[in-house]
Amino acid sequence: MYKFREHLREQGIMFCYSGYMTEQILTGIGDAIKQKLEVEEADRKTARSVFSVFVEQVQNVIRYSAEREVKEPSAEHKPGESDQDTSLRYGVLTVGRTDEKYFIACGNFVEQKDVERLRSSLAHIQGLNKNGLKALYKEILSGETPEGSKGAGVGFVDIARRATHGFEFDFTELNDGRSYFCLKAYV
Amino acid sequence: MENIKIEATTRSPEIDFDFGANKFLIKGESYPEDVATFYGLVIDQLEEHLSSLDTAEVSFEIELIYFNSSSAKVLMGLFDTLDEVAKAGNRVTITWTYDEGDDHMQETGEEFSEDLEHAQFRLKILET
Repeated sequence: MYKFREHLREQGIMFCYSGYMTEQILTGIGDAIKQKLEVEEADRKTARSVFSVFVEQVQNVIRYSAEREVKEPSAEHKPGESDQDTSLRYGVLTVGRTDEKYFIACGNFVEQKDVERLRSSLAHIQGLNKNGLKALYKEILSGETPEGSKGAGVGFVDIARRATHGFEFDFTELNDGRSYFCLKAYV
Repeated sequence: MENIKIEATTRSPEIDFDFGANKFLIKGESYPEDVATFYGLVIDQLEEHLSSLDTAEVSFEIELIYFNSSSAKVLMGLFDTLDEVAKAGNRVTITWTYDEGDDHMQETGEEFSEDLEHAQFRLKILET
């Protein structure tokens, strides 16, 4: 365990979570991140951007990770209710700082069939400047929610707008019909 | 219509809708677990009330510290609704209050207001 801790420290990692992500975990880790940034006296804009990217990243895992446990529907479970409430989704999160930049990285499995759509969407967002991001943000918000989206479908654009030092992503194809998706944003 | 008053939590804003006075407030943090559950009913009631108005004076205050992208969608819809209400002959003022130095909040407020054609929009800095 000490070696693991040292490894995290060398990487500048302040927070590391690997496991099933729930809304309660988001609340708890989010609160600890806020406190840590306050102690570090990060300026308000930076602190809010780090927090914001963290929220969008974790909500992506909670909603979309392809590694999940399906819970037994509860008695109150209504037909048509989203499976967000009946699935426990797995993801890995790290938040840290290197070279005066904060980073928020998240990893989770995705279905192979979703990879191309995610990759082209992220590559497109990565190529946009400030005004382009703003236009896309508004376009998505004022349009219909994209099919398969459980939020506003604008999370990646929001992350890109907050990531003042950009973001990177990667898909590692596995041989079981899934890929491992990583997204790391720098503030 | 009965007024709506909801206390703020860590993840959801205070909501204070005074239908009699046509004064409305959303204040605090907005990243609820489920945006549709949190905002659905209150926004429905708000829309129902606003659509019944005629030459009324409506004041809508938004004072958010942080909102996630799902909440942004709700806010965008709210701005559309309020602009429609103004178009229908009511005097609508939206006040967007943000913390001093929070450029991101200032920018998003300005962006949301860009499409307003009938409602008045004011930016207000909360000095800290």
